[in-house]
Amino acid sequence: MLPSDNKNMNMDKTLFDQATEAVLRRFAGRSSRRGILARLGGLAAAVPLFPLLPVSRASAASTSAKVKAPTPFAAKAQTKDETACDYWRYCAIDGNLCSTCGGGIHSCPPGTAPSPTSWIGSCYNPQDGNSYMIAYRDCCGQDSCNEVTCLNTDAEQPAYRPMANNDIIWCFGTGTSEMYNCSTAAVIGKAA
Amino acid sequence: MVSLGGSALAADPVLQTEQSDVVTLKPYTPHTILVMDSAGTHAKDGRVYVVDADRGALLGMVQAAYNPNVTMVPDASRFYVGETTWAHGNRGARYDLLAEYDARTLKLTSDEELPARALITPKRNSLTLNVGATRAYVYQMSPSNGVEVVDTHAHKVTQSVDLPGCALTYPWGTSGFSSLCADGTLANVSLSEDGKASMTHSAVFFAPDKDAVFENSPSVAKTGEAYFLSYTGNIYPAHLGANATVEAPWSLQVGAGMKPASDASAPFEVTWRPGGIQLIALHQSDHELYVLMHRGTFWTHKEDGTEVWVYDAQTHKRLRRIPLKKTSNMVGVTQDDHPLMFTTDTDGDLFIYDAQTGHLLRTVKKLGTSVTFTIAPGEE
Repeated sequence: MLPSDNKNMNMDKTLFDQATEAVLRRFAGRSSRRGILARLGGLAAAVPLFPLLPVSRASAASTSAKVKAPTPFAAKAQTKDETACDYWRYCAIDGNLCSTCGGGIHSCPPGTAPSPTSWIGSCYNPQDGNSYMIAYRDCCGQDSCNEVTCLNTDAEQPAYRPMANNDIIWCFGTGTSEMYNCSTAAVIGKAA
Repeated sequence: MVSLGGSALAADPVLQTEQSDVVTLKPYTPHTILVMDSAGTHAKDGRVYVVDADRGALLGMVQAAYNPNVTMVPDASRFYVGETTWAHGNRGARYDLLAEYDARTLKLTSDEELPARALITPKRNSLTLNVGATRAYVYQMSPSNGVEVVDTHAHKVTQSVDLPGCALTYPWGTSGFSSLCADGTLANVSLSEDGKASMTHSAVFFAPDKDAVFENSPSVAKTGEAYFLSYTGNIYPAHLGANATVEAPWSLQVGAGMKPASDASAPFEVTWRPGGIQLIALHQSDHELYVLMHRGTFWTHKEDGTEVWVYDAQTHKRLRRIPLKKTSNMVGVTQDDHPLMFTTDTDGDLFIYDAQTGHLLRTVKKLGTSVTFTIAPGEE
């Protein structure tokens, strides 16, 4: 399911898009919570001679199996209904779900255009235990669609960290009016 | 019955003919406020309302299209609306505008076209004024982060200042502003008359990944004081200026007799935390901070407040705790000796409280669609 999202993305990637994504992938890779957990787990496993606290053992155990949900949103997220705000990919989405506005999880509704730029989330998939990088690309050119509206804020940052901010109208360079209609949530890679 | 009715009608004087006219508002009182309604569900129809908060009455309104902003001069004689329109509604040529209104007639006194303005959920610090209101600072993001400095008398952009890695403006004095930066510093921009700008950076004072500070934090241009509130509930008092300094933080939770809240490294801890959009307000002369609070985990920094906690910014102690009738993502306060406090809900209602007793005085039902923030005279 997940890798096919990339193949099916019906969008032309501009050079700017690719460059932005590359930068953001590196950024998110460095700051991934799973990466931090893995390093912590590795540290715990590497010092077995020390008298380990119960919490360290738990950490080591979790990395040997599946990573535990890293955030409260992830702990309650579901993987079946992409028209609901608690769908796992929506961990940092703010706005209208395109999947309820005539579009899809990575598709814009007819009459709108996808933004080549986006803000980025790192969301945990409880089904496979992996975290993925999610590009929240806005669909633009019509006013707000207002079917299902969500405000999720995992790792969301103020506008001085624009790549992690969900207040910005990400409709730069769409060739439309830059009027916001809804948001998609495309998988763009595995985090960590 | 018929004859009685007939005589009663006959006793009434004949109505006089009338001339149509237009109301001019009285000078604003400390309780005459501007209310920003960004109309999020139909964002090209945003507006700014003028409300008499003592009566809960709408006095007038102006349009404020598409993720707009508004700022008012301290004597409440005029205000500025930053807005964006397109020639054919949702298409055609784009216009980024700075409209100036006479606050009593609501007549447009200038309609300046800007090179750009940032399209972002309305936040007060994307449009600010210097002391004296001779300059307006317009935050923009295209082609890159920067600030357009507008001469409010000549109605012209006189300078554009690049802000690499930083955002928004927290003005100080007549010719400077600070901005919050991605590396956890403040950038401090000094403007000179020759159109040049110089910039310094403060020391790093917060860690954005671990505990970011809210961009909706309050500041006062004439004194340079600012209170940067972090996601966990730490307040960083700052003294803005060409070489801004930031004091060690104090904790809202500790000021209320609790232990400090966890940051992003322990996100599951449930405790009282700050949250909302315009989630903090300052009563300048009383040095009181009004903060929307809710119970939640870390990463719930935009969750509505269920209560407002009022703090003495000098002693760092909680003074009052005001439960809200409806949860709110916005809190505002007037600047007089008998201040009113404002909150909203998802129905666009405006709730008006006595800020000192916490009593709900009146409600303006369905004032708007998405009440985003209020501005009281003397607040900016």
